[in-house]
Amino acid sequence: MSASRDIVEAAAVPAGAAAASAHPPRWRAGWLNSSRGLGLILLMPALVLVVLFFLMPVVLTGVFAFTNMSTATGISGGTYQVTPGALRELADRHGMDELAEKLGQPSFVVDEQGLKALEEMGIEPAIIADLREGHLGETHASRREFERMLRDLPERPDTRTVKRISGEFSRSLANSRFSSRESLLAAAEGVDPELTEEEKTALVQATYTGWVWTADNFRRMASSRDTVRILLNTIFFVATTLIIFNTAFAMLLAITTHYIPERPAGIFRIIWFLPRISPAVIYVLLWKWFAWDTGFLSAFLDNFGIRPRNWMLDTAANAWFFVIVINGFVGASMGMVIFSSAIKAIPESLFHAASVDGAYRWQQVRHIILPQLKWPILFVTCYQTLSLLTSIEQTLLATDGGPGGATEIWSLAIYHTALNNYAGNLQYGYGAAMALVLVVIGIVLSLIYLRVFNYRALVAKPRIEL
Amino acid sequence: MTGHLKSWPFVLALSIISAPIVLMYSYLFIDTITNSPPGSFIPHEFTLEHWRFLWETRPGKPSIWRVTLNSFLFASSSCLVVLVVSSTAGYVLSRLNVPGRAFFLAGVMVLHAFPAVTLIVAIFLVLQMVGLYNSLIGVILVKAAIDMPLGIWIMKGFYDTVPWEIEMAGIADGASRFTVWRKLVLPQVKPGLFALGLFAFLLGWSEFILPQVLAPGGDVQVLSVYLAGLIADDNNFDMAMFKSVGLFYIAPVLILFLFFQKYLMNIYGGGTKG
Repeated sequence: MSASRDIVEAAAVPAGAAAASAHPPRWRAGWLNSSRGLGLILLMPALVLVVLFFLMPVVLTGVFAFTNMSTATGISGGTYQVTPGALRELADRHGMDELAEKLGQPSFVVDEQGLKALEEMGIEPAIIADLREGHLGETHASRREFERMLRDLPERPDTRTVKRISGEFSRSLANSRFSSRESLLAAAEGVDPELTEEEKTALVQATYTGWVWTADNFRRMASSRDTVRILLNTIFFVATTLIIFNTAFAMLLAITTHYIPERPAGIFRIIWFLPRISPAVIYVLLWKWFAWDTGFLSAFLDNFGIRPRNWMLDTAANAWFFVIVINGFVGASMGMVIFSSAIKAIPESLFHAASVDGAYRWQQVRHIILPQLKWPILFVTCYQTLSLLTSIEQTLLATDGGPGGATEIWSLAIYHTALNNYAGNLQYGYGAAMALVLVVIGIVLSLIYLRVFNYRALVAKPRIEL
Repeated sequence: MTGHLKSWPFVLALSIISAPIVLMYSYLFIDTITNSPPGSFIPHEFTLEHWRFLWETRPGKPSIWRVTLNSFLFASSSCLVVLVVSSTAGYVLSRLNVPGRAFFLAGVMVLHAFPAVTLIVAIFLVLQMVGLYNSLIGVILVKAAIDMPLGIWIMKGFYDTVPWEIEMAGIADGASRFTVWRKLVLPQVKPGLFALGLFAFLLGWSEFILPQVLAPGGDVQVLSVYLAGLIADDNNFDMAMFKSVGLFYIAPVLILFLFFQKYLMNIYGGGTKG
């Protein structure tokens, strides 16, 4: 069953019908009447939403993944700040200890700017002339060295004047801020006129406070031990929930409700729908009431001498139990509905024949029901794998990844990295890189899903029974 | 159909596995209007004190009515957007011969399966850049866009069931295709619009993670974010009060579900008739 052929067949129907209406008695506005024009106009709102909220975010997730955006860098541009941290980076990461030291320490440069300031202060013109003729452009690494030079001038300024003069020539970059690359480099060249290109690049990199393009996110993801742990958590979570609840338990619900009278079956279906229709916040709140140290479970087990505790968070195993049950109860109802309607579609005569033959219920289930559920099980598995991979609300509200990160799953890790954490430093770039992994998996899986289920979905027109 | 086979073992088994849910939801009601002695779960007095939040606003928290209004605006606006977009796009995909129709159909299916929540980091940054962060409009549009693929799919299904003769007759009478859609076809799919509207409203009403990330501010807080904030605040642990706010929040959902469960169960079950 090739996907493209099915679509073409489905499309053939309206095409023929459009041909039938190709000769309307009279025309009004052109676009209102052509199937093509009207179609594009009516499709426009959907297209706009798709572009704005699906295509663009997919592309931007990829773009942001290659930046180091975070709360610290902001999401717009930054400035250039010569902080102690930036100087340390210059020394440690680029091996430019000398440059870092020069920039960090106050240095004394004899330049026109300083000389002009001296003139305004009313320093003797002879001293200024000496400095301009004999020392213009000189750099001294320390105050002592600079002041010795001043004292050696032919005019010999007194100590107070020496202090005043040296203050004006102090050219430290430490803790200064520049709004552009050019002004930073100009100031740095004032300190060390022989900056190499390499040093300039390193300096700009180390002092820039805004975000920059980088592939570090992926390097970090590939090398981090957390990644492995979160990945294993996610696989465990998805596989366990899927197998135990979304398929096996859902099937149990579908088969048992099939064998009981319609009235109680309807009540049980409603009960099992409650987790799905309830807003996640309340649903998880009820579980907390059930599991917390003053909650139902603790009070109940207290009768058997078991110490009250917060069952949802006391150990990793218990936390996993609740995370899986909480998510599983929500997922079970979807399988229940789909399996139930598949069982209902089995001709009753098959069951009657089996009953006449004296088949036990287990044999009915094995030989009549289960073979019919193959396709729905595949559907539920595919669909729920995707939703579990990206599910976040229930786990976030129940354990928030705790205790100690034991139940941290991939989607939750994205949330904690980029959107909300205690430290307050949100790493948008790294979070986007983690999200990109899920986006890629999501695209691949939904394309597979389309490939496998396209035929069914297009033929079995989805309809709500009234 | 399986008359001679007993059903009570199944009822019993189902009752046992359903017990935790029944218990939790029963106590959602019981605990909001009663007090129980510590360590016991049998109420000994009737009280309305847990409902104080309706007339007393906590310091530092927005008023419950403000939050409820936000929730209502959020749910109904995103529902409206979903309805408009789905009723037009669904018709196109069901009936009109637009270029690339096959591509759009496949696209809607992929989007339906695609987990949009993975895009939340990018959407969060974009909303901050364009200044729609912490505004209801931004989060409404995002929610509507995410629910839209399912909506289009459902509406297409309803349009597919409308007989072609109705449209043929309209066109033969000289109506434009737009008029035919507006005046003849749209009334035929009213049940679909109703079901989808109901469903989209409930989805919006229940949504937590989008407003939590995109619009957490006090002015635009919705009920889910408000309640989650109350629960997360360790200084004011009051389970009965949480449950009262929760019941206040979930009541519309339960009422609508009990009245219209037939409409809703099929959509909740994945949107397709498996």
